[in-house]
Amino acid sequence: MAFDIALDLVRGERRIALTFATGAGITALCGPSGVGKSSVLAAVAGLLRPQSGHVVVDGVTLFDAAQNVSVPPEARACGLVFQDLRLFPHLTVAANLHYGERRAPRARQIVGFAETVRLLGIEDLLARRPATLSGGEAQRVAIGRALLAGPRFLLLDEPLAALDGALREGIMAVIERIRAEFALPMILVSHHADQVARLADHVVLMDTSS
Amino acid sequence: MLTAPEWAIVGLSLKVGAVAMFAALPVAFALAYVLARGRFAGMILLDAVVHLPLVLPPVVIGWLLLIAFAPAGPVGAILQRWLGITLLFRWTGAALAAAVMALPLMVRAIRLSLEAIDPRLEAAARTLGAGPIDRFVTVTLPLARPGVLAALVLGFARSLGEFGATITFVSNVPGETATLPLAIYAALQEPGQESTVWRLALVSVLLSLGALVVSEWLMRRTSKPGSAHGV
Amino acid sequence: MGLFHTVRRAAFAVLAGLAVLATPVHAEPRGPLVLAAASLQESMNAAADAWAAHHHPRPVLSFAASSALARQIQAGGAADVFVSADEDWMDTLAKAGLIVPESRKSFLVGALVLVAPAGSKLQLRPAPGFPLEQALGGGKLAMADPDAVPAGRYGREALVHFGVWDAVSGQIARAENVRAALGLVAHGAAPLGIVYATDALAEPAVRMVGVFPPGSHKPITYPVARLKASTHPDAEGFRRFLLSGEGKAIFRHYGFIAP
Repeated sequence: MAFDIALDLVRGERRIALTFATGAGITALCGPSGVGKSSVLAAVAGLLRPQSGHVVVDGVTLFDAAQNVSVPPEARACGLVFQDLRLFPHLTVAANLHYGERRAPRARQIVGFAETVRLLGIEDLLARRPATLSGGEAQRVAIGRALLAGPRFLLLDEPLAALDGALREGIMAVIERIRAEFALPMILVSHHADQVARLADHVVLMDTSS
Repeated sequence: MLTAPEWAIVGLSLKVGAVAMFAALPVAFALAYVLARGRFAGMILLDAVVHLPLVLPPVVIGWLLLIAFAPAGPVGAILQRWLGITLLFRWTGAALAAAVMALPLMVRAIRLSLEAIDPRLEAAARTLGAGPIDRFVTVTLPLARPGVLAALVLGFARSLGEFGATITFVSNVPGETATLPLAIYAALQEPGQESTVWRLALVSVLLSLGALVVSEWLMRRTSKPGSAHGV
Repeated sequence: MGLFHTVRRAAFAVLAGLAVLATPVHAEPRGPLVLAAASLQESMNAAADAWAAHHHPRPVLSFAASSALARQIQAGGAADVFVSADEDWMDTLAKAGLIVPESRKSFLVGALVLVAPAGSKLQLRPAPGFPLEQALGGGKLAMADPDAVPAGRYGREALVHFGVWDAVSGQIARAENVRAALGLVAHGAAPLGIVYATDALAEPAVRMVGVFPPGSHKPITYPVARLKASTHPDAEGFRRFLLSGEGKAIFRHYGFIAP
């Protein structure tokens, strides 16, 4: 199993409960907005602590309430591409890309800097600040930053939502190449049926009763 | 424009102000950080204590410093016996008085910029493998930099104006503790010193005005939308 | 954000440069640290200059209120000589064993005077029942705060002695110190003021109208003493110089009585 996940999360008034186990490739997490998809990703990344349950990725236990195991986010080797991207505004694009790369042990690195930049087509952006990037450019930089951090798995939160037409197609192609070249398990949050149909190897549906 | 002794007074004021700022900065940052991020029962009390020098008569601060840091005081005795440091009648004492009086303004400026930092950026750094100290140094600190700079400039301006606490604590010793305000006050006591008063007052006005303009400019950069957030 | 680097670097450079400029030059030996009452500012500076002219390092003079200086000495301040405008504070230090007893000497006597703006034609001699209220003509009498400042205390004492205090007590402009009272008269804000003779002599914009005779108030004396904590080899020499004929002549020039 790539992802073996059982979560019971409390977010304010709401309670999110979700259990799934999926194999290699891309797992699409679908459901109406506000159902808690981003919270699930945050819990898998370790930024939220579930009340109970477990998070096991590729056989490694990252969280287990029963055994009181909780690997801190900085040690989970999870490439999380946030829906709001969260590029560091005080750093150049190059420094944003290097941020995770410099902190990842060599053995975990799956792709070099030059190759990542080429793959994402961001060669010309390296000296710029995030505030000067377009939505599509920033999206690609955020994916590059996650990819360079030596991730054991990727969590992509609506990576296509802000994009249209050719840009959307470009990012989808990138995601497919990441799957093909690096064999990284991924969770993709999306609520577009066409994207899910094209990219997903597994689909997990969330609704308000889940 | 200024006579040699007047330049010495200006130089001393700048030295006292600069040293006060760099000594107060770590303390101000720590307090600002606790006040911006902390959630504990004594927060309001700590906030009030930090702001005390802003509202207490400076002469009270000077007297409290005298009691504590003079050679006969509890802290002063330790400083003198174990470290050989004397503050009374020395420029270091004037710097301490200036630092204490400037602290509230510095804490406010740094706190504002810390509160403007999006905590989601620190969470992002976490998922990229950065531990607590690493995140602080590479994300929090650089994003707080405009506030830190504003605090330095604002605190510096405040310390240039410090009078009551200084004269009460470390007296009015030329070349050591007689900074601009003390020298101006002394000149005011002597009829016929108006030209000295005018020149030193003009220097005070120019230095303070410059510092306030720079700090205001820095604070605006902090609060400018988009400057502290992601795309 | 590169701008901040630039600003910061520039600020550091400027401050570092100024700090170097401001570092006191230690090439000349420092003179003893003398704490003196603010009312002695001009005369003590002149005495220090005269002493320096005899090839001694010029004493470092710190002028503040006698009370503030005495508290700093009480708190363990390592100064060399204290010249107080107030015997009470010297008594306090003596009781605490902070001064060298045999070095204490009341070497100056101050006179209390009535002043008016330089252009005033007023004639008035302080004596029992003298017409102060009429002379004020509804204006204010400027004096240092009679409750807090020695000059004000002496002034009230003299007016009570001559039986005119009750008539004018509603017309007092209380100043924070005696020099501020002097300023009120010099700038025409008050038609009359009570200050020390030394103040009247220092300010050309005022005219001395009359002198309060010594018996009308407690003697105004200025004691000097060397401090126990003094280590400067020149301290005793400067103290003796203040008491010498040359020293006393300087203080007389500034309006003190130096017996």
